[in-house]
Amino acid sequence: MATTTKTKTETLVGKRIRRREDPRLITGTATYVDDIKMPGMVYATVLRSPHAAANIRSIDISKALATKGVIAAFTGKDTENAGMVPCGAALPGLRVPPHHLLAMDRVYFVGHPVAVVVAADRYIARDAAEAIEVDYDVRPAVADPEKALEPGAPAVHPQWPDNTAFTFHQEGGEVDKAFAEADVIVKQRITSQRLVPNAMETRGVVADFRPAERFLTLYTSTQAPHLVRSLVAQILSLEENRLRVVAPEVGGGFGSKIDTYAEEILMSWVAMRVHKPIKWIESRRENFTCTIHGRGHADFYEIAAKRDGEITGIKLKIIQDLGSFLSLLTPAIPTLSVLMMPGLYKTKNIRADIVGAFTNCVATDAYRGAGRPEATHGIERMVDMVASELKMDPAEIRLKNFPEPSEFPFPTATGLVYDSGDYAAPLRKAMELADYTKLRREQKEARDQGKLMGIGLCTYGEICAMGPSPATPAGGWESAQVKIEPSGKITIMTGISPHGQGEETTFAQITADEMGVDIDDVLVFHGDTSLVQYGIGTFGSRSTAVGGTAVYFALQNLKTKIKQFGAMLLESEDVEFAGGQCIDHKTGKTVSLKEIAFAAYRALKLPPGAEPGLVATSFWEPPNFTFPFGAHLVVTEVDRDTGAISIRRYIAVDDCGKILNPLLVDGQVHGGVAQGLGQALWEQAVYDDNGQLVTGEFMDYVMPRAHMMPWIETASTVTPTPVNPLGVKGVGEAGTIGASPAVVNSVVDALAPLGVRHIDMPMTPEKIWRLVSGRAA
Amino acid sequence: MKISGTSTLAVPPDRAYQMMQDPEVLARAIPGCESLERIGPDEYRMKMKMAMASISGAFDGKVRITDQQSPTSFKLTVEGSGKIGFMKGEGLLKLTPSGEGTEVSYEGDVQVGGTIAAVGQRLVDATAKMMIKRFFDKLAAG
Amino acid sequence: MIPQTFEYSAPQTLEEALGLLAAGGKPLAGGMSLIPAMKLRLAAPERLVDLGRVQELNYIRQDGATLRIGATTTHFEVETSPLVRGKCPLLAETASHIGDVQVRNMGTIGGSAAHADPAADYPAALQALEARLVLQGSGGERTVSVDDFLVDTLTTALEPGEVIREVIVPVDDQGTGTAYQKVAQLASGFAIVGIAVRIRKAGDKVSMARVGVTGLSNRAFRASHVERALEGRRGSPAEIEAAANLVAQGVEANSDIHASAEYRRHLAAIHAARAIAVALSRTA
Repeated sequence: MATTTKTKTETLVGKRIRRREDPRLITGTATYVDDIKMPGMVYATVLRSPHAAANIRSIDISKALATKGVIAAFTGKDTENAGMVPCGAALPGLRVPPHHLLAMDRVYFVGHPVAVVVAADRYIARDAAEAIEVDYDVRPAVADPEKALEPGAPAVHPQWPDNTAFTFHQEGGEVDKAFAEADVIVKQRITSQRLVPNAMETRGVVADFRPAERFLTLYTSTQAPHLVRSLVAQILSLEENRLRVVAPEVGGGFGSKIDTYAEEILMSWVAMRVHKPIKWIESRRENFTCTIHGRGHADFYEIAAKRDGEITGIKLKIIQDLGSFLSLLTPAIPTLSVLMMPGLYKTKNIRADIVGAFTNCVATDAYRGAGRPEATHGIERMVDMVASELKMDPAEIRLKNFPEPSEFPFPTATGLVYDSGDYAAPLRKAMELADYTKLRREQKEARDQGKLMGIGLCTYGEICAMGPSPATPAGGWESAQVKIEPSGKITIMTGISPHGQGEETTFAQITADEMGVDIDDVLVFHGDTSLVQYGIGTFGSRSTAVGGTAVYFALQNLKTKIKQFGAMLLESEDVEFAGGQCIDHKTGKTVSLKEIAFAAYRALKLPPGAEPGLVATSFWEPPNFTFPFGAHLVVTEVDRDTGAISIRRYIAVDDCGKILNPLLVDGQVHGGVAQGLGQALWEQAVYDDNGQLVTGEFMDYVMPRAHMMPWIETASTVTPTPVNPLGVKGVGEAGTIGASPAVVNSVVDALAPLGVRHIDMPMTPEKIWRLVSGRAA
Repeated sequence: MKISGTSTLAVPPDRAYQMMQDPEVLARAIPGCESLERIGPDEYRMKMKMAMASISGAFDGKVRITDQQSPTSFKLTVEGSGKIGFMKGEGLLKLTPSGEGTEVSYEGDVQVGGTIAAVGQRLVDATAKMMIKRFFDKLAAG
Repeated sequence: MIPQTFEYSAPQTLEEALGLLAAGGKPLAGGMSLIPAMKLRLAAPERLVDLGRVQELNYIRQDGATLRIGATTTHFEVETSPLVRGKCPLLAETASHIGDVQVRNMGTIGGSAAHADPAADYPAALQALEARLVLQGSGGERTVSVDDFLVDTLTTALEPGEVIREVIVPVDDQGTGTAYQKVAQLASGFAIVGIAVRIRKAGDKVSMARVGVTGLSNRAFRASHVERALEGRRGSPAEIEAAANLVAQGVEANSDIHASAEYRRHLAAIHAARAIAVALSRTA
């Protein structure tokens, strides 16, 4: 027994540690779905509708079947009884259209799957798919949600001519009284356009069914492998323990890979019939038209305020563009907007109505922020409008309406309880970094010279760490299993499914600190249902706050057992476990974790009542969401001649609770801001009147690129959450939520001398030029 | 997408009108038209081939003439679909005397779908104008 | 994203290439337009003739008062060639605005011209330079002006079986100033409008002005109204603005989701003025 070992004292949590995932990613050696090759593998192609609305008179697959190298082809008639693509959200009175794997007698959006062809290679499959003859009777389509709700609009689903999937109402406080007693009421229609999530890796599936074992392995680019397993098993009536789902390296998701998609079910179904491993890789064109879109709001706001700037009431009507089918969470997304509608402000009087409108478009669903960016954009625009009406500074009105730090936990008008907050802190920090007073002086001088300079603020809040199980459609807990191997190395199995968030690093940091070992002694596994106990997945900024906490508790459980073995080995009653060893302070004797691990597996002797081995599991149910917040400040300048917007400064001060790794937090903020700027300035999914997606490729869909990004100055304030022992809140979506209102507020501020009060996104140069030059849109 | 414009033909309206109802003339004038086969009164099945720089595709379609008000106006519908997508052009053509000849004014709508709509929107406008120009150039050439 | 089956040949000589093209092959240069079109199945040529290995098509050389540039010379080669930068800087400057680095490494001057995209960058410069193109088929060669070559949207004077062999541009005289100004469509990198200006001054007056415009309409064109309005003037800001405002005169402007016809016309005027001002400043 060693009496002296090097005690590890340096902690890793809070350090800027480079991601351990990166070497494989930047050397191109990571394994994505399309990298998987199997003997005898065959390839599937999906034939899709070019029309947004049409009845199918007939489908003739004979030429496809006759193509050399084609193994099988199926249409909706074949898969009719194979189950439906699932919608997991439940709302009272919700109309859920039957969503077959392949179109039956009608297509509902451009890209609607019509047939699937399986062939020896993907070229043959594509050729054969083109040989399928579909006789379409083209029907009128409607692509605009507001037009869809007008009387006489084409019915997306003939059985529901009003195109209304649901209505939803929520009310709190005394709204009518607040508006009756208001000094000022401000109204505005604010839109949040449809966006294409555009993960770098498109979706893809490899389905490998072994009939002799009656076992299906499904490799899929997903954010939630266990959910895919439960749903696919249920839909295809396959026993859940005979299905293994693997999320290999996943090249981004941004919410678009939470859903269980038709292709995941379809390829499994096909694999169970052709008995060969099948690969299907989504093309970028398909990704644009068939993977869910985000946002799609027309919001109608009314705000009541007192002369001193106190906001006393909010009314909001949301028209949500749902698309034609309901994907996994489609109808739930705007309810998140309602929950977030008061923003960071104290008012208790709210009234919200949602109308979910069917359109002949692909479904909308969760996209980075999912409902919260829309709500934050709305309230942050409205607060600026109230300030402008009352001739107040936008910072002043915000500071006036924040709850004080002493008021937390703060119950909100929409039924949430904000966990902890000091909302003024990031705003003050951003203003200090920008030298706000000086900046306003500079703006005055610029205006005197005829320049259009704007300063925009956004103070955002968000709902993270999703979430308590009663508030989520599929369980909101998370799991972790910690195994200390006989050699003392540590393996973590987490139920989250990271795809860029970096938990292989942050969870190793937590583990290294708790166990007092080197970070290189810890390995984090995820994304394989045969390896991982069960899990919910990665979305809703939940992975670290919920999944990390599960790791923390599994580690605490294990510590008890480590100490039992340590005490046994040191023949002591009272040992402390710290710095990777157990120590008896009375004798000064120590035993290392490695020695304890060996003893636990060798099992020559066991502590009283203890089992051999060193494994512990935690399924942690969070008591509440977490509520991060922050302030973004943006300085812009507008070119009067062309309408071009330039961002002179971008300051992001985020409070995501305790920070495990500042490098990763910065990375999340940068990426989030890029996507928020994308919505504010460039991105839009444009369907024409016939339901054709005319931004169907990167030729016309303006994705933010590195050279279009401003320099982002990041800073943070730290308000730990009491919801979990790590004190972490989550930061995955913060940048996106904070960016779009900050930029729009800044540009509206630049154009304020011209009487401009609101601009809808994206703020294209032409739109700005028309405002500056007084031309009609 | 809305389209409108005017073009001049050297022949008087009744002759111009007659030409534009004549399938043989139409077959020569519609850009890329390879064959026109009558399937009903003033309705024809058409095979088209388009080739512009690196882009090419074959279309099966229909030509329909309706709302005839000889010799002052009629409605022309040209639609086609193929592997690269589909298109439909619908326009009201009005003929008015102009000196010795005829001024033809047209107003209508062009729809495209499929891959050409998804990746080619920036070229649809110019391409539609070119097709219309070619149509009238061919007509003028007889 | 999966093309149809095609035959591929990579001849070493122009003669061999012309033979293959005469037999119905489709020429492939840098593949920056053709390959994406094939992947989207907007094009399905049965036989591709890759001109990339025909060494005799890749050169930049001075020939008296002209530069001769082989058709498969890449944008990067034009952009960085000391000869082009010294003798015909407008072409090098324009090349530097095309697409992105990867596109400039692959795309060629001949391929860009032959594709005749109405929003491509080169045609604006070629118009301002009054470039000539040498076209060659198995039956012989002919030389056409760029204005005759660019017929319409994606439509050129090339006959089947013919390829562009070289592009001929003038060597700038002393006292010539040039500039290319572009508003890029951010998704594709193509020009919403692009203005190439070439100006010579004699004494303090503009003796020659050439203005090439791309992106505005169905094909790149010379804005002759602007040229005439500049010639004989000193080039004061007011004169520049007045001339630039003529850029869209008589032009049927394109319209798409990125820019309406009205906005395109406006941008063309703004950027024509900016390009003229820069070119004038470079005449000294």
